[in-house]
Amino acid sequence: MSGFLQEHLRPLAGAAGLHLALVGLLALAALRWTSSQPPVELAIQGYVVEAPVTSRPAASSRAAPPAEAARPPEPVAEPPQERRAEEAAAAERAAELQRERRQAEERVAQEREAQLTREKAAADQRKAEAAEAKHKADAEARRKADAEAQRQKVEAAEVRRKSEAKAQAERDAKAQSDREAELQRALAAEEEGAAVARSGVMDEYRSLLVQTIERNWIRPPSARAGLQCTLYVTQAPGGTVVDVKLGACNGDQVVRESITTAVYKSSPLPAPRDPRVFERRLEIVFKPTE
Amino acid sequence: MQSIPGAFGRGATALALVAASLLLAAAPARAQLRLDITQGVRDAVPIAVVPFGGQAEGAATDVAAVIANDLRMSGRFAPLERRDMVARPTAGADIRYEDWRLLKSDFIVVGRVEPDGVSFELHNVRTGASLLVQRLPSSEKGLRATAHRIADLVFERLTGLPGAFSTRIAYVAVDGRPPAQRYRLIVADADGYNPRTTLESREPIMSPAWSPDGQNLAYVSFEGKASAIYVQRLATGERRRVSARAGINGAPAWSPDGRKLALTLSRDGNLDIYTLELATQTLTRVTADDAIDTEAEWSRDGQSLYFTSDRAGNAQVYRVALDQARQAERVTFTNGYNARPRLSPDGKELAMITLDRGGYRVAVMDLASRNLRVLTSSRQDDSPSFAPNGALVIYATREGGRGSLATASSDGAFQQRLSSDQGDVRDPAWQPFAPRG
Repeated sequence: MSGFLQEHLRPLAGAAGLHLALVGLLALAALRWTSSQPPVELAIQGYVVEAPVTSRPAASSRAAPPAEAARPPEPVAEPPQERRAEEAAAAERAAELQRERRQAEERVAQEREAQLTREKAAADQRKAEAAEAKHKADAEARRKADAEAQRQKVEAAEVRRKSEAKAQAERDAKAQSDREAELQRALAAEEEGAAVARSGVMDEYRSLLVQTIERNWIRPPSARAGLQCTLYVTQAPGGTVVDVKLGACNGDQVVRESITTAVYKSSPLPAPRDPRVFERRLEIVFKPTE
Repeated sequence: MQSIPGAFGRGATALALVAASLLLAAAPARAQLRLDITQGVRDAVPIAVVPFGGQAEGAATDVAAVIANDLRMSGRFAPLERRDMVARPTAGADIRYEDWRLLKSDFIVVGRVEPDGVSFELHNVRTGASLLVQRLPSSEKGLRATAHRIADLVFERLTGLPGAFSTRIAYVAVDGRPPAQRYRLIVADADGYNPRTTLESREPIMSPAWSPDGQNLAYVSFEGKASAIYVQRLATGERRRVSARAGINGAPAWSPDGRKLALTLSRDGNLDIYTLELATQTLTRVTADDAIDTEAEWSRDGQSLYFTSDRAGNAQVYRVALDQARQAERVTFTNGYNARPRLSPDGKELAMITLDRGGYRVAVMDLASRNLRVLTSSRQDDSPSFAPNGALVIYATREGGRGSLATASSDGAFQQRLSSDQGDVRDPAWQPFAPRG
């Protein structure tokens, strides 16, 4: 498109320049151009600047020359023989006119040439300026666009980052709560399983302790049915009896001696199969059946 | 700015402390495992009686050996063998409890003999508690009696029952062959030492019975070619004949107040039970049955008698109230033969001879439940007699035509043969405790 315009710019501009010079069309055009320029500025500058200079003047100058070029053949259609003198005079006048016209045309052509040159220069100038402006505008636009794009990119990145962070945080939180819930479930399950397992181990531990103490309790004659004596026993982790305290007891001194001896004699007390059921504090109730 | 976290930090610390103290306070109530002990063992209590200081090896009276033997014979203690002792402490301060724990002793007796007495200590090896620290005055001659006294104190402290090691036993020893037999009534220490002959005769001596105060013996002697009942005061040797009625005079038994004897007489043609008031010689017939009624034993309240009768076809134990003499009630039903009833010191049990699986054995019946438990497994036991603390029953047992003495714990857990060099022995009777106060 721009190649086509550049190629046909010269003849078109010549026609337009002739016309403009004579009828001030150019001024009008220029007026229109200038008046039409401001609103265009709102649009994207890079394109608007080119359009009024190239297409609009070109369109009006192209329309003008055909109208003038169609007029010159009209005088050629009058052949007045009877009026030879007149005709000669007329021819002379015509030749004169023709000459003048040629001269004028030549002048015009020269002027047009000059004008063209000027215009070309101006156009070049404008073009350069426009190019420069365009370049600047382009650069500016690019810069702005770039900046905007950058800003948008940054903003978008920020937004993305933020939203991603938020999403991540949400995911993390969910994962965390999931993990915790899972852990809780696992713990509960383990606790339940362990409790079941431990109750078995605990029963075993209890009977192990009872057997040991019963084996070591030499019952004195006064330890009869109806006797009930409680010992509060503290054992160290290895089962070593570290303390024995007598609680309620309806037995005599001999009975008390015998049960305390039985507990110390059982030291170290047996360990449970599962160390978790180990109990430091024991409440041992001696209540023999007959 | 810094004071805020600081204050918060202090607050948090205080909170943690409160929480920790709450936990600590809550712990004892929560964390406690309860155990119910419903049975024990009847094992003999392991005890170490360490040789006493102040005594040369091989001294005439080895005090520790006497104590250990007493405790062993009771059946309730298992004294540590002397050769296993790794140390010889003679005072409580010298006892290293760990040593004796390793030797599996629960208790330890240490002491020393001094010129005019014996001091001793009893310690619990398991708890490290000192249970007895005493000094008993004693002459050299009385060391054996002092040793028995120490055994009594240890026994009582550890079983709750008074020791009977200072009491004595009476029995009859028979030497020689017919017709040159020699009968002796012997009184010895409970461990068989110091036998003293109270009466010697070429005719049979039978059925010695201790008076309740332990000062007199009643017995049957055939020294006048016929049976008669004598009462002899041990301290003086003084004796008197209390019953020499026609026929059989046998099986004397003292009333709890010591004023009467229950006897078996055949003066009315058949063996029946009578009571004799010693001071007045008042004789009262208790049973009048066609069957043989003999071997009377007084109830603790003195209101009734246990005795052996074959009125049901074979020997069984009966009981008769003295104020309703014609209405005897049968006491034993378990076996085909139950005889020679002897009451325990607390009056709750009756020792007797029962025919158990082909053997005549010592058994103890609980009078409340009527349960009979057989204590021995011999073939020919006779004459059971409770120790005054009720812990043991002494009895005669025959093996290969020769009699010896043995004891059994009244719960049946232990039996022990008494060594004797007095030949054929029979009819043991355990001296009661001297009345206190």
